[in-house]
This record gives sequence, structure tokens and C-alpha cells, in this order.
Amino acid sequence: MSFVVRQIALKSSGEEIIRRSVAEDAVLVIGRDGSSGIHLPDLAVDPRHARISAIDADTLLIESIGEQPFTVNGRSTTSSELEIATGAELAFGGHRITLAREAESGLPAFTVRRVEAVSESAEAIDIGSAYTLQKLLPGKRMSAWGFAALVLLTFLAVPIWSWATYQPLALHKDARRPAGIHGDTAWSSGNLSLAHKNLNNDCQACHVQPFVTVRDNACMTCHKTDAHQHIADGARLLKARGEPTGFTGFQRAVANAFNKPAGRCVECHTEHEGAGAMPATRQQFCTDCHDGLKSRLSDTKIADAADFGTAHPQFRPMLVTGIAGDGKPLRQRAVWQDGLKESTGLKFTHAQHLSKTNGIAQMVRRRPGQFAANDALGCKDCHQTDSGGARFQPVEMEKACQSCHSLTFDEIGGTFRTLRHGEPDQVVADLRAAFRGGMPPRPANLSGMARRIPGAAAQQSTAADYARAVHFYPMQADQAVTAVFSKGGMCYDCHTVTRGGGAATAGFSVQKVAQNGRYYNKGWFDHKDHRKSECVSCHIKATTSNEADAVLVPGIDGAGGCRSCHVGEGGAKLASAHVKEPVASGCAMCHEYHMDTGAPWKPADKRKGPALLTAAWDRPRHPTLQR
Amino acid sequence: MRGHAPVSEVDGEVYRVAIIGSGPAGMSAASHAAQLRMNHVLLEKTDHLSDTIFKYQKGKHVMATPSQLVLRSDQEFDAGKREDILGRWNQRTEELRVNVKYNAEVKSIKGTGPAIEGSIQKIITRARDGSTTTTEVQRHAPPYAITLTSGEVVMAETVVLAIGTQGNPNLMRCPGGDLPHVTYQLDDPYAVLDQHIVVVGTGDAGIENARGLAEDPAQGNVVTVLNRSPKSANVRESFATAKEPNAKALVEDDAAGKLTIRYETETKAIEPGWITLNTRDGEERIRCDRIIARIGSAPPRGFVEGCGIEFASNDRLAFPTLSPQFESTAPGIFVIGALAGYPLIKHCMNQGYDAIEFINGNTDLKPADEPLLEAKFAGLPGKRSVNDWLELLRTNIGILNGMNTLQLREFMLDSDARFTKAGETIFEKNDPGSSLFAIADGSVHVRIDPNDASKVVPIQKGSIFGEVGLISGRRRGATVVAASDCICVEISRNAALKLQSQVPSALRAIERISTERQLLQMFGSGLTPDDVREVVDTAKIVAVRAGEALITEGADDKNIFVIRVGSMIVEKVVGGKPVFLSYLPAGSYVGEMALIDGGQRTATVRAAIKSEVIRIDGEAFARVLEAKPALFARARKDMEARRATNAFVESKKDGFSGVVDLYSEQAKFLVSQGLGEATDVLLIDERLCVGCDNCEKACADSHDGLSRLDREAGKSFAHLHVPTSCRHCEHPHCMADCPPNAIHRGPDGEVFIDDTCIGCGNCQRNCPYGVIRMDKVPPKKPSLISWLLFGSGPGPGEPPYKWSKKNTKYTGDPVADDKLDRKKAIKCDMCAGIEGGPSCVRACPTGAAIRVSPDEFLTVARLENEGA
Amino acid sequence: MATTPAPGPAPRRRTGATRERQSTHEGFLVHKNGKWIKLSAALAAVLILLYIFVPLPPQHFGSTWLGYTLGTIGALLILWLTALGMRKRAITPGRWSLKAWTSAHVWLGVLLSVIGTLHSGFAFGWNVHTLAWSLMMIVIVSGIFGVTAYATLPRALSANRYDSEGAITEKQMVEALRSLDRQLHDAAQPLDRECAVLVDNSLEQDPFTGSIINRLTGRYPGDATREAAGELRRLRAHRPRIADDPLDKVDALLTRKEAMLARLRRHLRIKGWLQAWLYVHVPMTFALIAALSAHIVSVFFYW
Repeated sequence: MSFVVRQIALKSSGEEIIRRSVAEDAVLVIGRDGSSGIHLPDLAVDPRHARISAIDADTLLIESIGEQPFTVNGRSTTSSELEIATGAELAFGGHRITLAREAESGLPAFTVRRVEAVSESAEAIDIGSAYTLQKLLPGKRMSAWGFAALVLLTFLAVPIWSWATYQPLALHKDARRPAGIHGDTAWSSGNLSLAHKNLNNDCQACHVQPFVTVRDNACMTCHKTDAHQHIADGARLLKARGEPTGFTGFQRAVANAFNKPAGRCVECHTEHEGAGAMPATRQQFCTDCHDGLKSRLSDTKIADAADFGTAHPQFRPMLVTGIAGDGKPLRQRAVWQDGLKESTGLKFTHAQHLSKTNGIAQMVRRRPGQFAANDALGCKDCHQTDSGGARFQPVEMEKACQSCHSLTFDEIGGTFRTLRHGEPDQVVADLRAAFRGGMPPRPANLSGMARRIPGAAAQQSTAADYARAVHFYPMQADQAVTAVFSKGGMCYDCHTVTRGGGAATAGFSVQKVAQNGRYYNKGWFDHKDHRKSECVSCHIKATTSNEADAVLVPGIDGAGGCRSCHVGEGGAKLASAHVKEPVASGCAMCHEYHMDTGAPWKPADKRKGPALLTAAWDRPRHPTLQR
Repeated sequence: MRGHAPVSEVDGEVYRVAIIGSGPAGMSAASHAAQLRMNHVLLEKTDHLSDTIFKYQKGKHVMATPSQLVLRSDQEFDAGKREDILGRWNQRTEELRVNVKYNAEVKSIKGTGPAIEGSIQKIITRARDGSTTTTEVQRHAPPYAITLTSGEVVMAETVVLAIGTQGNPNLMRCPGGDLPHVTYQLDDPYAVLDQHIVVVGTGDAGIENARGLAEDPAQGNVVTVLNRSPKSANVRESFATAKEPNAKALVEDDAAGKLTIRYETETKAIEPGWITLNTRDGEERIRCDRIIARIGSAPPRGFVEGCGIEFASNDRLAFPTLSPQFESTAPGIFVIGALAGYPLIKHCMNQGYDAIEFINGNTDLKPADEPLLEAKFAGLPGKRSVNDWLELLRTNIGILNGMNTLQLREFMLDSDARFTKAGETIFEKNDPGSSLFAIADGSVHVRIDPNDASKVVPIQKGSIFGEVGLISGRRRGATVVAASDCICVEISRNAALKLQSQVPSALRAIERISTERQLLQMFGSGLTPDDVREVVDTAKIVAVRAGEALITEGADDKNIFVIRVGSMIVEKVVGGKPVFLSYLPAGSYVGEMALIDGGQRTATVRAAIKSEVIRIDGEAFARVLEAKPALFARARKDMEARRATNAFVESKKDGFSGVVDLYSEQAKFLVSQGLGEATDVLLIDERLCVGCDNCEKACADSHDGLSRLDREAGKSFAHLHVPTSCRHCEHPHCMADCPPNAIHRGPDGEVFIDDTCIGCGNCQRNCPYGVIRMDKVPPKKPSLISWLLFGSGPGPGEPPYKWSKKNTKYTGDPVADDKLDRKKAIKCDMCAGIEGGPSCVRACPTGAAIRVSPDEFLTVARLENEGA
Repeated sequence: MATTPAPGPAPRRRTGATRERQSTHEGFLVHKNGKWIKLSAALAAVLILLYIFVPLPPQHFGSTWLGYTLGTIGALLILWLTALGMRKRAITPGRWSLKAWTSAHVWLGVLLSVIGTLHSGFAFGWNVHTLAWSLMMIVIVSGIFGVTAYATLPRALSANRYDSEGAITEKQMVEALRSLDRQLHDAAQPLDRECAVLVDNSLEQDPFTGSIINRLTGRYPGDATREAAGELRRLRAHRPRIADDPLDKVDALLTRKEAMLARLRRHLRIKGWLQAWLYVHVPMTFALIAALSAHIVSVFFYW
């Protein structure tokens, strides 16, 4: 039997070269060996791989020589019968052999084709991309799109969505978003201050409308009571600030263009600065307006003010100038100066009382434990701070004076009778009543009408008193009354007594008393903060002045003036001032932007202290006579 | 096949006209004869019409140039596929019942009439040894007896000779040369398999056959090429008759083991299956199943002269002397077509028609190119007929005197006649331009000082100018203005070259004038032609081979050389090593130092490329110098400047020997890479190149999707890489052989190929730097944006072949599709017309790529920049 | 020995193709002797001084006038820097030079890190704003890496391409391997199965195989060619030496293939490094642009 072998070679141009040969032997060997009938130069093929022999005219047998398998019609095998008529496809390594009967000769023809290139490198290699990283890394374009989309989704789409899904939040004091992650928090540029901690999760609490800046109404939603306007007239406020010029003008113009109106709360109270106390408002925010205010606001009564250390106007205390007809105190502001006077309606000698040498001091020494100090009287013995400790209660006669200056005028069986303080008509009445009963059986141990001096014994004067009493009787009552209200009399020495009272007071009248509770109403002074320093270091006159009318409150400068310690925010001070321990003081230390009556808002401090006490003239009734 | 009995079969019949050769010319003539019912016969050597075109490769696209020329023939012809054209011709020839006689090769043509008085032709034949023998031929009047190789004789009153220039192949003479397996041509090299083949002859034909047979190992052929000449590094020497690129390719195949070249070997004997060779080491017998002998063909000149037809000159390229009606010196024998010097098909066909018309008695038929010439002369003042104009040019212009009317017509077709008003500029200094101007009327002024319009040299009527551009290939050296109203002929480079080869007198005239001008232009300073007359007379134009030393350091000669063509490098031996001193472009002069100072040559001057220099006799020049102190001073000045340079380099050499070596090594490398003849070359600094190939992409994107440069390929030295990209040579090799003359030098000095390219691939083969590729324009790509965003399309740069193939939109209209598939020659055009200049440079992100001209780059400044 | 003709003025261009001629190479980093690096350095200094000395309200620096200005400049700058990708590929006419662009891209890109960071006012947190900043820094850092690669690797690349026969191109590398494979294939024909399979493994291995790691490290553990060579040598050790043993040729060829592969892979490694950074630089740039737009929108959304 003979076989036709058609070796097909491919030219690089792709066209085929066919070489036909006829093998005239019974057995056709397929293998890499050159002598094989079907020679396959293919390393994947054994030198003698398989042999083909004829079974009969129409059937061939192909079997492996070295147990190495080959493929027949796509199935791996070591032996198989081949129908010439139907044909077959054999695969050895990179070669394909198709069996078919050749039309011309009628012989079984094996057409041999190399289907795989000699080597991997011989396969078509796209030089363009082979030397790049294209196949090894995700494409730049893809990843670019991917990352961009991811970022846009997470940081734009999601936040807007979470904004859209919580509309009603705005302008509702207590509306809160449920806890949890909310997309738009990714937009937060920093934590809110402690004050607004609870809003951290609710962007819309303040950011009410998209693309609209935070407006005051957002703040006012919660700060209904504690945030008043600086002054009612906002327009005036802006006027005070003045039209910004030059670069600031440009900035404002831009801000307006971007819909950022001026004068909003948040301009001072900046947020997202990190969890902590809101920072103190800086002096600049005040001086923007108050420095050279007059130039912009000609009709203002407020003096220009800038840095406390250098450019603060003299203080202007509110003084009591007298008592009006209706008994209310008359008040007036005056520029502070040395030796200011106000009419309190009292007579009191600070210097004498605070002396450490005179009789008063002696008396204090003799009665240890009864006074704050044991060597002499101190301020505290009369002046008591109010509950907040910021200021002082008015001095009360009963608490402060009576222990020494008692009002007894008679003794009956060891019980002293006392004139009623603050009720002149009662005083007159009591005295008259005392003298109605004619000559006493024996000279009573009278206290007399003269003002008691601490330590005088009644007995010493009994005889004389008695004699005088007998001598004046029966008209001695009127004399007694007169004595009480006149120089040397019990009332006269402390109070201002005038004639022109009614019959009930035997024509005498005692002026009403007014103690000034707060001199500086625009600025805030807190004694509590000054505990460490002696009273007299500021109220220096207290040890020298014996006039009750003298104003002992210090001014901005001069001895004991504030500037003797306080310097400007930046530590600025006048050349004239000598400060040992300077205290940097911004406007906010004493002044409050929101003009409520409380102490100025302080960073990291919560508001405290009672409602403010104003100058009291109307004192409480005597407790024992209330009923 | 022919329906009626052809007249030729009647015995003793004398044809009115016998046409020999059935190429376009012959066939057209025969067709017209048939049309006119003239009694004619068309004799064809082979068994088919127009063998030359028949032998074109399958499917080759045939162009119809010059396009503006009207076709005047009974045969139609238009650009198209070889097959279609041949088909139409054959069909038409049938229709016209042209009487064709196939397999009729003509052996001789003899007049049978009485001898013509005094009409004797001298035929000079040159033997190998150079000796010449002169035979004289007495011309006889018609009718002519045309003897065929078969022995048959055809009688005709007139003969139209249209046999082209192909000639007949030379035959093997060794014993067994007549065996059947010795063949002289190979139609389909791929049909041959598993054979031992010997190719004899190392011309282009032989080389192409050999390479075709061994192209693919799968063909299983064992190919041996026999070469008489010895092996040498320079393929030009070992393969003298072949085009260099072909020879190179063959040598490469040999090196790659695809085939074997046997040098200094000839055939001794041939027997079936074997061939015996004469080698240097004696005889050798190798297996051989087939021999392909491509040992050239005898040019038809001998045969033609034998017919009594005289040639214009003994120049190899000379053509027969013809009357305006193509009648040769042998009365009644007309020569047309390529043999007459008209290679273009349209010309041939028209001539066929014209010749027949004339033979038929129509004497006042105007040639077909008449309208073209009319158009050319239309712009000129004075209403003259074309003939008058031609006559005027011929008489007025010296270099054109030697031309006959036909040549002149042909010549004018690729030249231009321009009228310029007095004072108008004809061309300006530094304009690129390689054309030659001849003054037919009026005169012009050459401005020797660009700043001073008053300093001029007049050139008179009849003379020429612009020859420097033509010869050196460099930009115009001076501005030329019309002194009076003048008529000039602008002669294109090709026309000028053709002219010089056709008319030796013209050649000499041009050479002399150019020499004189070169000297005057170079030394300027008020020299007059008279001053330099002696010098010019003694001057001699010398060709210098690349690398050949013009001046040798230490020699004693005193001559001065002016570089006319090409360029030179100057080197000096410092510390035992030759150090590159400077680069001299054409137009420079060299060698005056020894003359002025006396003494030996101080440096060696070599030709960077094949160059031509004007050798001036030293003494003669010395005399001029003495006569002209100004000139002397100038020469001295130049010398000093140059001295300074040399001194600088040498000083460097002492201090920074390494740097200088590198510098001169680099310079030599660049010269070896063709910088010597370059005008503008792309240089890549490999220390900067990151291989992003943006230059290639930019190139492709600014030239309809095909890159003209291969960055990676090409040679490098010391980090300096000269990629495969056009150098825009001074004398472009690609221009040498372009059938449609489609390659020109553009206004920016770039060498570019215009749309008339027929894709023949000659330029590709001729370019020694392999920068021209044949390819078809890929389809349009989607916009850049859509690629950037969505990756649609192949992206910037040249699309991969696959993509182009897939996306070419065929219209189904054969003509349009043929256009789509047509391959054209692609080369760098320096991005002419693109604002900003070459894209490759603009698009280099790292500054690695720059384009420079050699004189810009090969300067000492470079040495300074190198940080020495 | 010569005088060249007077160098005329720059040739007159008739086609309007005006062109800057340079006669020496100048790298992109020092384009126009360092024009851009100087400019950027100066700007950086100025900005830092401004940041330190301009008095501003005590809020996020980003929302002060200076902050907004820097932000705007930064955003525009980012867009412009991204535009290089377009410029590089759109080969439009005009007197632009990509080198100049690259130079500006590099140095202004470095400057961007200053602008961006100052704009942030050093206030970082887990939010979109810091995200944008960090993406920007990633892009810039990867860019700086790229620049160093561009500045240093090319020498190695070209050095690797050269040997005694001169340069070898990428095409030729593949060709060389192909021919080696062909020769191996032929030389291995006489071998027995065991050896033939070894050689076949080497032939069947794609020379461009390997993951990005292999590429960038240049290490290819378990390379079939190396193993084949080693294994064959081991086998031969146990066999009697015979004259012209086909294994000799195969062995020689395998050694040459190994050398060729090594060179190819060095080439791949260097090219890999030259390209790899772009796979971070470019995608991150677009992520950055996305983050930037989110940043800007968010600022105005919650204005």
C-alpha cells in the first residue's frame, strides 16, 4: 500500500507551498526522525511517534510506537482505526494531519500542516504594546474614570442625597438627625465648638439653604433670649462700621457678589474650628467700629475707644446727685476725676473707722471675735458682697452700725427701750410717751437723748441726768425730741436732718439715704476677680477720707486706676503708666457685645451670677416691726 | 482571429508603413495607420503587445503624466491598473483590425532604393580595451527591406522605429549555455521550489531574481549568485552595475545565510543538474537545477545605427538626431518613443499618431505639446508663435545653442519662461532653490552685498545665473534683481541635468561660469572676471570620493580648493590622534594657508561625502593676491579666525583630551551618518530620550497618519542618536530616478514628494539612509477627545496595520478603492507649511530631539558646551 | 583650512512655517536655562511670606481672602497641568514646544504642592477637603518620581541597547529571539524526548511573560530557558562524551538565548519604570479633579 504525503509550508507572506510525495511502504511512520514517512520537525513529537498501517483497502490502523499519545479527531489516544473514506484529523504536537482520499490517484493522502508556530516568540507580537505595561496593569483610562466616579459618588452624590433626605431639620430648635453616618458630614471642615457639640451631626441646623450662607435666623433659632442686637438699629450699626474702602472694600464687594452679606453672627462667631471653647471675640471686632466712631457716626454719644491700654476714654461713673421729691435718687454720669462727690444723705468717716490707733481700734481690741480683724475695723465689717460676689450689698444700720451705735434711751427693769431707726415720727412718739408720766420715783437711769458712744456707762451720769430731768419737767419731752434731731443728737450725727417736717416729727425731717450699687453700667467690674488684691489698692482714699460723700471708686488711671494693672489686648500701655503685673485686657473683658445686663460672655465659662443689683434707696422694713 | 485576410500575406507586397515595436508608441502609430486605412504592418518581437508594460509586476498602477498633456491617439489611455490598460489596448487593436505580426524580431533594415549621394554614416564602435573602429555605411533610399530573425523579409516604404531602449539579453557563451535549464528571465520566482539555482550576473535584475528565489526559507531553494568582481566592503565596487540599495540587500541576505554570493567566480561549463565554476582557488562543481543568466542586454544603438540612423553624440545617453517630425537621418525612417528620448507613455502615443499623420502627408500638424508651450510663453511680452519663441531662446541663450527643436520642446516642458520687470527681484539670498536661470533677453544684477543694493555684478543677455544652487544644492548665495526688463528661462534641476548630459557644450559652459562666479562670490571685494581669468583657466573640477584626503597634513603642495559639491571635514593629528577641527560646507575654500604663509599643510582635509572641488593653481592665485591687496587682507583675516579655532581645539586637547576625543569621534560618527550631505537632520540625545515615541506619533498625526521617522532605528554614538529620518540631502539620492519627477526641494529647503507619485519605489531603493517607505494612507481616526475619554480608535500616532485594514471603507467603485489601496512613497517633508516647524521636535517632551544643519551643529561651540 | 560662506540671516520662510532653531540639546528640566524652576521657586517664596505675614482674621485660612485666592489659583493650575495630556497629543500647528510645556508642568506642579498646602492652612481632617489635598500630594509625589525616572533612566536604557555590534532595537530583540528559537528548534531535532521536551518548554515560553512585579524587578524565577539549560547540563554530566553531541549546540544556543532574554528583560524593566509611575499619576489626577469639584461644590453648598 502506498500513501500520499502532502507537506504544506507557509511563506511569511501567508501563501502556501505544497510539496507532494508518495510513500511506497506498508508502514508509514510518523515522527521527528528524518527517516520517518511523515516527518514532523516538532520537539513535542517523539523521534518515532506513531505508525500507520493498512488493515484493508478502506481502513488504516494508527498506533503509538513509544506509548506517547496523539490526538485523533480531537481525542487523545494511542491507537485508532481510520476510515479513509470518512477521513480523519490527527494532531501531533504543533502539527495537524488530515487524512482524505486523493481524488486523482485514489490513494489515502495525509496533508500535513504546522498549526502552531515553532516557538511562542514566533507568534505575532504587537511591538507597539508588547514593550508597554498595558497588559500588566489596569488601563489608565479605566482607573481614571473609576476613581473619579468613586470620589464623585462618595463625596458629592451621597452628601447631597443625605442633605435632601433631611429637609425639615432647618430652623427647628430641637429637630435632630438620627445618630449615625451622614454623607454630608464628610464636608465638615472641622468639629464644632463645645457649645454646639450637639449640632455636629446636623449640618442643616445652621446651613439652612444650599448655596446660601449661614444667616442669623439660624442662630436665633436657639439663642432666642441671650443674643440681643448690639443696638436695635442694624442700619446704624453698619453705618458705624463705615463703608469699607480700598482692599477691604474690594473684599466686601466680592463677598457680596458671592452672597455673603456683612454683619452676620458667624462673622465673629466662626465655627468648625475644632472641638473646644468658642474663641474670644477679638478686640478688632469692636474697634472696627468704635475706633474713630465719631467720624462715622457724628451724632453718637459714645466716645471713640480702641485699645484699652492706650486708647480708652476716661470712665464715666453714674453718681447719685440727690433725692428727688418723690424720694427716688437723682443720678447723673460724670467724667471720673479725683475728688468726685455724690450726695448719699449719710455722714460717715471711713478714715476714722479704719484707723488702727484710735479709740475705735481700742474698742475692737477689747471685744475680740466680734469683728473680722482683732486690731481694727475692716471693710468687710460693714460691706458685704452680694451673693454673686461681683458687687456689695448696701450697708444696713442694724447689721453694720447698731452693735456700737445703739439707739436705747431708757431702761425699765433691765430692759432697754430703743428708738425706732428709720421712723422719725415713731421716735417722737416714743419720747413723748416716755415723759408723760411725771416725775419718776427715783432718778431713772436714763440713757438720755444724746447719741450713745460705745462704752459709756449709764450710771456715771445718772445724777446729772436726773437733776436735769427734774429741772426741765414737765416740758422736757419736747426738749428731748429736739435734742435727738439736733447736732449731737442720735439721728443728726449720721443723717442729714432738716426742719420742715410735719407735726408728727416735731417739724424735723430726715433725708432719705441712697447707696450707689453700680457706678459703671457700661463696663462690667467683678470684685470676685480681684479678691486677691486689697480693697485699698484700688479704693485708696478709704483710709484717708472722712467724708461719706467722697467717691472712692477708682478711674481708668491715676493711683489705683485700672490701668495700674490692666493693659491693652496686645499688652500696649501708655508711656506714663507703670505696671508691675500687666493684665492683657481686650474689650470683651469688661464689655458685652450683646447689650444684656449680665457679665460679659467669657470663653469656657458659663454665664452665672444673679440679676444685677442697682442702686438701692428703699431698704427693707425693720423685721421686728413687720407684724 | 482576424476576420479578414491580412494584406501582408500577398507576396511581394510593399507596405506603406511598417511599424517596429508594439509599445505605446508603435501601437498608437499602427492603430492610427489602421484608422486611416493605410497599408501597414506592426512587427512585435514577442507574442503579445507592448512587452515592457506587459512585464510590469501584476496590478502595478500606471500613471498618465504629464497630466496636462492632451492625448492624441486612436488608442485610449488613462491612469489605471496594468491589466486594465493592456486589456483596453488589445481590445482596441482588435477593433481597429491592426495588422499585427507577432514573434517577428527585426534583425536589420536596409534601403533597397538607389544609394543616396553623400549620405554616408560613420559608426564608431568602442571595444573593451578602449580602441575604436569606424565603419562607414552608405545610405540607400526607400523602400526598406526589413529582415526578421526568422529570415522572412518585409518590404515597406516608410518605417516607424518604436523599439524602445530595452534591447536584447546577452546570452551565455560557455559550453552547455544552450541547455534548456539556462534561462534569461524569471517571470515568477515564487513558482520555483526546492531547487539549486545559480544566478549569473549581478545587475539589478539578477539581484532581484536571486532575492525573490531565496526570499522565504519555506521555498527551499538553494541560491548561488556568481560575481566576477572581488568582495569588498564597498558594495559599489563589488556590484558596480547594480543600484546600491539592491546590492546592499543582497549582501545582507548573504550574511543572513539566505543565499550564497561567490565572488571572483565565473561559469566554466554547464551540464544537467550540475555547473562547473572557475573560482580563485580553481574549479568547483556544484549542484544546479536551473541557471538564470542576467548578464545585461545589448542596447539597441548598434542596430539602430546599422539602419543608417545617426545619434546626436557618442554620449551613452545621447539620442538619435531627428527632424521635428521624428524623421531620422535615414530618409523615411522615423524614430519615436523611448528610443527618441520620450519615456512617458502619453508622449509616445502622441508621437505615433503624429508620425503617421506626417507620413500620410499632413505636414503642418502641430505637436500635441503645442498648447502646453503656448501656455508657458503666454506670459511673455510680444506676440510670438511657439516656434519663434523656441528659436529666440535657442539663438539667444548660449547653453541652448546645441539643442534640436524636439529636445528644446521637451526641455521647455519642464522649464519655465519668466518675464521680469526692471528692478524686480528674481530670487533672494538664502532662498532655497536648485533651478538654473538663463537670460533670453535683458540683463540682471547680482547683489554681492546684502546690505548695500548698489554693490552689484551685472550678468548679460545670453548668460546664466543661479547655477550655484543647482550645483551645490544649497540656498541661493545672493539676491538677483532684473537690471532691465528681461526674459529668463528657469530651468528645473532635472531639465538642467538632462541638458548637461545631452549637450556637452552646455555642460562646459555651465562649469566655467560657475567656477568663475564661485571665485568672485567667495572673494567678493571688487574682483572682476578679468582678474580671475587666469585662475579660472587653470582651474580644474576634480571629483573626490567620500573619505578621500584632498589635502594631507605635512604635504608641500600649494593648491587652493573650492568645494563645489558636497562637504569636507578638517582634522589635525594632535597627540597621535586625528582631532576634528571643522566642517566645511560647499562654497567654502580651503588650502590658502600654505599659500599665504608658505610651509607645509597644517591639517588634513577629507571629503565627508562624494564631492567635487575646483582645484586652483596656487601660483596663479598667488599672483591674484599680489594684484589685489584687499583680497590678500581678507584672506589673511579668514586665516587668522580659523587659526584661533585650531588653537582653541588644541589647547583643549592638552587639558581635556578625553572631551576632545569624544567630540571629534562624535563629529566623525555624524559625518559617517550622512551629515556631510545633510541640510537638516534629526538628532536625538539618548541621555534625554525616554522612548515615548511622541516624535513618531506627532509625525504621523501631522502627516495623514503615517510616520516618516523611526526613532529607534538608526545608529548612535556616545549618546547621540541619528534616527531613521530624512536628512534632506544637498543632492537628494531619491530625486535621481523618479519617473513622474514628483520629488522636489521645497521653499523651506525640504525635499518632498508631491501627489504625482506613482509608487514605483525607486526613491525608496535609492535612499542610502532608508528613510523612505512605501505605504498607503490609513483611514481617518476618531477625534483625539473621543480617544482620550472613551478610548475610541487607535489613539495618537500611526494606527496599527490591523486597525487600518479593518477600518478602510471601500466604496465598491474600483477607481476609488484603487486610490484607497495605492501605496505611495512617504518621507519627511520637514513639516513644510506647518506653523511652528517640524512636529517631531515640537512634540519632544524632554528636548531630546532637535533638527540641525551640519554647519550649525558641527562647531567648536559644541566643544565648549560639552563642558570642557 | 577654510572659510565658510558668510552665514546669511535666518532663511526667509515662505510657507509661514516659522521655527525655532536650536543647535544643541537642552533638557526639559533646565529649559531656557531654568526659566521655570526659577519662577516657581520665587513664587513659592513669595506665597510662604504672604502666608506668614499677611494679617488675617482667626478663621480657617482657606476661607480668608488669601485662602480663597490661593484656592482659585490652585484649582486653575491643576486644570492647566492636566491639559499637558492634551497638548502632548494634539499636534496642532503653532510655535509651541512640548519641552517648554513639560518644563512648566514639572516646576509649576511642584509649586502646586506649596499652593495647595498653604490653602489648606494645615487644617487636616477626615473630610473631602483633606481628601483633595492628599490626592493632590499623591499626584505630585508620583510626578516627582516620574521626573527622576526621566532624568536618570534613559542613559541606562540606551546603554543596555548597545553591544559590540551596535544598537539593537525592540523589533530586533524579538527577531533575535525568534531566530535563536528557530535554531534551537532545528538543533534539538535529534534529541530524545526528555531533552526535546526541555527545549520545547523554553520555546513555548512567551518572552514577554511575567507579572508587573517580574517586569519591575527584572527577576523571573522558574524561567524555562534557564531551567532547560541547567537540566541539560545535569543530564550531560551523566552521559558519555561523544563527538559533535547535538547537546553541545543546543547548550550554546540556550546560553545565547538566556543572554538575549536577560537583555530584553533589562530593557523591559527600565521601560517599565519609565511608564509605571504614569499608572498612578494619571488616574490619581482625575480622582483629584473629582475630589476638587466635590470640595468646591461642598464649600458653596454649605456656604
